[in-house]
Amino acid sequence: MLEIKNLQASINKKSILKGLNLTIKPGELHAIMGPNGSGKSTLANVLSGKNGYEISGEINYKGENLKKIPVDERARKGIFLAFQYPLEIPGVNTNIFLKTSLNSIRKSKGEKELDTLEFLKLIKEKSTELGIDEKILSRQLNVGFSGGEKKKNEILQMKILDPNLIILDETDSGLDIDALKIVAKGVNSSRNSKKSFLVITHYQRLLDHIKPDFVHVLSDGKIIKTGCGELAEELEKTGYKKLN
Amino acid sequence: MQIFEINSTQIDKIKKITTEEKSFRIKNLEFFKSTGFPNKRLEDWKFSDFKGIVDKNFKELDTIKAPSNIKKIDLLKDFEHNYILLVNGNLHASNFDYEEKSKIKINSYDKSIDYKISKNPLICLNHALAENGYSLEIDKDYKFRKVLVIYNLFTKDIKNKILNNKNKIKVNEEAELHIIEYTINESKSKFINNVYENIILEKNSKLRSLCLQNNKSDGIFYKFLKNKLSLNSEYSNLIFSSGLKFNKLDIECDLTKENSRCNILSALFLNKNEHQEIKTLINHLAPNCKSNQNVKNVLCSDSKGVYQGKIYVKDIAQKTDAYQLSKALLLDDNAEFNSKPELEIYADDVKCSHGSTSGNIDHDSLHYLMTRGLSRKDSIKFLIKGFLSDVIEFIKNPKIKKFIESKLEKQINEH
Repeated sequence: MLEIKNLQASINKKSILKGLNLTIKPGELHAIMGPNGSGKSTLANVLSGKNGYEISGEINYKGENLKKIPVDERARKGIFLAFQYPLEIPGVNTNIFLKTSLNSIRKSKGEKELDTLEFLKLIKEKSTELGIDEKILSRQLNVGFSGGEKKKNEILQMKILDPNLIILDETDSGLDIDALKIVAKGVNSSRNSKKSFLVITHYQRLLDHIKPDFVHVLSDGKIIKTGCGELAEELEKTGYKKLN
Repeated sequence: MQIFEINSTQIDKIKKITTEEKSFRIKNLEFFKSTGFPNKRLEDWKFSDFKGIVDKNFKELDTIKAPSNIKKIDLLKDFEHNYILLVNGNLHASNFDYEEKSKIKINSYDKSIDYKISKNPLICLNHALAENGYSLEIDKDYKFRKVLVIYNLFTKDIKNKILNNKNKIKVNEEAELHIIEYTINESKSKFINNVYENIILEKNSKLRSLCLQNNKSDGIFYKFLKNKLSLNSEYSNLIFSSGLKFNKLDIECDLTKENSRCNILSALFLNKNEHQEIKTLINHLAPNCKSNQNVKNVLCSDSKGVYQGKIYVKDIAQKTDAYQLSKALLLDDNAEFNSKPELEIYADDVKCSHGSTSGNIDHDSLHYLMTRGLSRKDSIKFLIKGFLSDVIEFIKNPKIKKFIESKLEKQINEH
């Protein structure tokens, strides 16, 4: 699904990722942990295609080099980033925006676009499944949403857009236990042999609810250790310092 | 360069005027002749050099009365409405089928000369030469059932003309009126439209007005709006004008009695070669009055937007609540926005604030929308619509709101 080779990324001449290697196969869920400033969010941004980074190395998604593919095209190819800080977009109705997004993705896949009724049925189904109040979708995109609502909205968007490679950038930060369970439920119910996940987190807490296949430790722009679920528990006890 | 000549013989040609009116017109004409068109050396025109614009666009100009014959126009079908049809500013037809006709007075232009000599050359030119326009008066206690659309049609045969029009709207005590000024341009050539509009709102009355264009125009538009608000009256003006080579709206609002309220909002989308200015002067002359201004500009290509807004609070106007905000979204490096907010306050117990921002599309917001599969172009459209949305939200009638939204959508899509 995703193959990253010797990825280096810098912004404003500051080097952040310094030779990162990672392979994610279909159906796998990888967690990336690491101290503040280790490059976790940069990795998420670079994978999503955000401008402003100088990049070298390779990022192959389903065998295709992503380097020259812009953000929106990556999304239409099935890459989804749940933001650490979802942006507030005043005046943009969440439903209308999401319907336009979904239809542009469906169109690029050669699928039939959904009409309003079909779309409303879909969001009803997905929001009920996650236990999210669908009313948040009739509001302006993330405007005045609580931290928890923003994150839940990201997961709901993920469910509706139905991507293949899902990157969660600290989606668990700032969530209470109930919201955390909704996020976990959204991820777990989406897991199948075709979807892959890259879950960026600071805490093992989320990994109690989402069982990763692999856990990687990112430090100073490189993966310095890879293990299974137990590695996260170990880190929770010992911290990152010991690894350096 | 003298591109046109006017003298008092043109005033002689105006029919049925009293000696007093004639002398008023001549006085104004003399003033205009002494100054000419306003240029950027005048503070009020520093961002819109009218003389420069006239010199650039016209080799000759004439003030001969424009013809006002037309066969037929297509009325809007989006919502039920009454209408007035102006052809080149001249009152051509009216229809008040939804209303009690006895409560409405409609006439050709306001002949009153109860105006002070202005320092504004364009107002003087208007006072000197205007002989077209309309005068509308709504009787006490009468509330309009349907909106009144003022179709403002400019015909093909007005090349190089200056059309001076004078309008008056009087809403008497407890009456209510909602108007949409809808400009239709058939003229492919350049002309100048210089309008003086006088609005009088009596005690407890309400006037909501909205303006927009059907299509693009090479015309040069200037409109001076003089509003006088009485006790507990309410005036709102929503400006959606677009597609005009040059347009300046000069709005003066006198809040003369307690609890009068005024709202001026605009959502402008300016395209290539377009230049629009909104200039306001809100005079808080009595206590407990409220004014709100929210001017939004989206500027593409080499367009230019200007907002000059002044709030004046007289010493007796305690408990004034005045707010002013202008925001510009610049989509191009060559687009320009000039903003000049001014507050002049002589009362000590008031709430007055102003803010002005201008900036480009927010890249993080753009990235967020694009990560959901929207193209860059669609994402920008969403951000533009979002930026202008709070002005649209002010429209309460759902059909009119939909109509305005589709017009704006069209402009944004054409960009």
